[in-house]
Amino acid sequence: MQHDDEAGERRLLIQLARLGDLVQSLPAFASLTARDPHRSLDLLCPAPLADVARLFPEVGRVLQWNGTQWHRWAESFVGEFQSSWLREVDQYLAGLTTESYKMAYVLNHHPRAILAATLLATEVQGPYLRGPLHEELSPWALYLRQVAQTRGSNRIHLSDTFCGLCGVTPPSVAPRLLLPSIDLPGDLAEVGISAGQWIAVVVGAGDADRSIPVAVWIEWISTMLAQDSPCAVVLIGTERDQPTALAIQDGLSPIIAGRLWDATGRTTLPQLATILKRCHWAVGADTGPLHLAAAVGASAMGFYFSRARVHETGPYGQGHWVWQADCAQPETWPIQASVKVIRESATVLEHEPVEGWSLWQSHHDEWGAIFRSVGGRDPQDDQRAVVWHQLTEQHLSLQGMR
Amino acid sequence: MNSFEINVSRLAQRDPALAAAIRQSGGGALEILPARTGLMSARANGRWIHSAYDPIKEAQAWAEGQTHQEGETIIVFGVGLLYHVEALCARLSRTAPVVVVVPDPSVLADAAAARTWGDWMDRVSWAWGTTEAIGERIADAGHPLRLVTYAPAASLHVDSHRAIETVLQRKTATQAGGQLRIAVVGPIYGGSLPITRYAVSALESLGHHVRWLDHSVHATSYHQLELLQNAQHRLALQSKYAEMLSRVTMAQLAEDPPDLVLSLAQSPLILPALEHLRRKRFLTAMWFVENYRHLTYWQQLAAGYDFWFVIQQEPCIAALKRAGAKDVGYLPMAADPSLHRPLELTKEERETYGSDVSFVGAGYANRREIFPRLVGQDWTFKLWGNEWDGATSLSSVLQRNGARVDTDTCQKIFNASAVNLNLHSWAGTGLDPDGDFVNPRTFELAACGAFQLADRRSLMPDLFAENEIATLSSPEALPGEITRWLREPEQRAAMAAQARQRVLAEHTYVHRMKDLLSRIGLASPDRIGPILRGDRQAETLAVAAADSFPSLASTLRTFPSTQRVELKQLATQIRSRGPMGILSREDLMLLMLDEYRSETKDLV
Repeated sequence: MQHDDEAGERRLLIQLARLGDLVQSLPAFASLTARDPHRSLDLLCPAPLADVARLFPEVGRVLQWNGTQWHRWAESFVGEFQSSWLREVDQYLAGLTTESYKMAYVLNHHPRAILAATLLATEVQGPYLRGPLHEELSPWALYLRQVAQTRGSNRIHLSDTFCGLCGVTPPSVAPRLLLPSIDLPGDLAEVGISAGQWIAVVVGAGDADRSIPVAVWIEWISTMLAQDSPCAVVLIGTERDQPTALAIQDGLSPIIAGRLWDATGRTTLPQLATILKRCHWAVGADTGPLHLAAAVGASAMGFYFSRARVHETGPYGQGHWVWQADCAQPETWPIQASVKVIRESATVLEHEPVEGWSLWQSHHDEWGAIFRSVGGRDPQDDQRAVVWHQLTEQHLSLQGMR
Repeated sequence: MNSFEINVSRLAQRDPALAAAIRQSGGGALEILPARTGLMSARANGRWIHSAYDPIKEAQAWAEGQTHQEGETIIVFGVGLLYHVEALCARLSRTAPVVVVVPDPSVLADAAAARTWGDWMDRVSWAWGTTEAIGERIADAGHPLRLVTYAPAASLHVDSHRAIETVLQRKTATQAGGQLRIAVVGPIYGGSLPITRYAVSALESLGHHVRWLDHSVHATSYHQLELLQNAQHRLALQSKYAEMLSRVTMAQLAEDPPDLVLSLAQSPLILPALEHLRRKRFLTAMWFVENYRHLTYWQQLAAGYDFWFVIQQEPCIAALKRAGAKDVGYLPMAADPSLHRPLELTKEERETYGSDVSFVGAGYANRREIFPRLVGQDWTFKLWGNEWDGATSLSSVLQRNGARVDTDTCQKIFNASAVNLNLHSWAGTGLDPDGDFVNPRTFELAACGAFQLADRRSLMPDLFAENEIATLSSPEALPGEITRWLREPEQRAAMAAQARQRVLAEHTYVHRMKDLLSRIGLASPDRIGPILRGDRQAETLAVAAADSFPSLASTLRTFPSTQRVELKQLATQIRSRGPMGILSREDLMLLMLDEYRSETKDLV
């Protein structure tokens, strides 16, 4: 009987978006685990990200959401709907879990995630208050929508709003992924072994308009490696980023080639996490690898432009840096200044302003992550405590009504 | 006992009449020769029916290339020595029904004499006898049917197989009751534009949900490009314009994905778009209502469409297949009796539009050469239509200074003329020596109950009898023929009436669209076929779902029983329950599938 009771209390966290979103779900996962340490918390994520989900501390089962298979089913059903085919779908869902979860926490404001939660659990906590057909948003979901539309004075990090959606407060310390010892392929085994600073350069980005130009990377790496002190660079990215990585290498002086490793398209996600962990710094514009770097203990430095904004999606935790551009497509880049941050972190508070960019450093307190301006003043007051109180009250009031 | 006796005796146990027919035939249709492997192979008309090296390996490779889905009956065209049937039986599950079409028992006699058949023959049914009998036998075998052709052997009985396929199509058409969603892609301008309109109207009258992607709205802009003096610029921009309209079409298709995309000749869908549509599992068909010898862009598009329908037979069909078309069918032109019909004309209209002899059409070279001999005769001759510039010898008979004639006026002229000339266009002089297809005018005049004198076309006898349409064999004979027919008003009226009856019975656009859909339905038993049969209708689906998915069955029963229901409609129905609606597991699964469906047709 005790076993049945425990099974009935099973909980599931659902994150069906991309790598960065999954890693940013780590604080909510940690807070939920801390609140109920004796109740298992499983994680449902896209199948390609399952290996990253398994690095979450104290994660129960990792359920893999096979989006490709769902696409295939949907395509098969179009124009030739046959009810018998639902059996295959039913079997797939039964394969994920034979019993319903007591509670599913949904972190995506997407119908798929909400439908998945309703299919797999008896109770759902997330963006919608009353099920998939009732689009009344929870207080935290309303807040997120407002931030997405107006941004304005928000200083609450997306990871912490995930906590709010789940009804927990942010963890007191930024959690880390638990990375076991993982072998790296070929020459990459040398990464992080020799003395000096190791820097992972994230060469690509999810979307073209968020990519840093090759010429900028060439100048940045040349500047970084021109210093006297020992230093090495590892280019990271997916297979799609390999041409960019090659173009960068072509543009670099042969003298520094011995201090450059190209890992683009050569690693699994756990191997990528291992490389990031062995590096002291991760630098780039693609937030997914930056979040992963922060979650394995590296210092992250992001160049945020286009739609990326430091206060919502800066690297989570203490001591990370973000250069925020004033415009969507910057024309100049803070190359010298950003290299200086890595070289002379201790004195960076004296940094001189760079036109078109502002520099932010991350901190962590009882309300989670907060980015504070370096060498300037944040024009917005930190209203996180007020927002948390308001939204928590609204949440409790709604719970009382229900 | 030799192999012939063993095989025929075994066959007699299941089909004694066929066994008797085989014995009576005596064989001799095939030349039986040993292959390199020692097995028997066969030749006919100097060509190998099976491999001269290894007939079994060849048959296995053929069988591997055939697709089959559970519940389908396989119909095999092509007998030969049955190696391919044996290989097919080995590949299929034991419960899959196989019917072999036997147009000529003497081929089967040769097959029986060549080698001893194995147990696989007990799984095979034989469809033989007259075309109708074979059609009946196949229809009785159960649905859905999947037709497969072993081409080397089938080539001996091409006409017979075509006739059987026609019988099957007709049967499919008579059983059709389901509603398809069809997107009809029309041209920017030109002769296929009105045909598009008629096809749309016919499909709608058959109960299908039709969406006409009408590009004629872009004609003004397109014609502006024709004004460009620089030919290089003009061609480049026209090509870009067509490419842009192709993208527009894709966007329209993405918004409301149909079961079938039917293009009419000159529709602006380019090959990359068609290839993309195929990747996204759209079914596409083209009705090429043009002379394939004159407009040759089909060579670039042949592989793009799943189905081609053409108004010419061989060598047009073979040419398209050589260019990559997978399925090509003959679909002649037709008339729309709601537009093309007998009219009661006023006296003024008779005076304006009437004459002893008339012709409506553009000034092609052959017409410019032939018509002058009709001027200055005892009868009145009126020439209507445009593009007659420079034809000075015809200026006395040219009406309205060669202005374009609209459809309504055409009908009045047809109805008011004693003899309507119907001279198919050609760029040469005299009559087109390769004239095969029958133009729309033939059907339209007939549907109007108007008498016509048409030039001889090789495909005319299949469509109209000699007592329905008068034909002309040479330009020299034209004045004499006109004189003759003007003297026989009663016979003219009788022929015109019979021609009209023929059109109403066989040659309307409704007939053509039925034939088109039944051919596609027959060739795609897992897609269009079931919809046409009504298998996707709410009540049929509800019955199928009742045991395993009762909640789904209950949702399906909220639709009218004969309404076609798909995932999209089901999801809409579930969502319509409102915010407080209670959702079953099946409902949630369907909503989830619909979420992915909405992203599936990312065409643009």
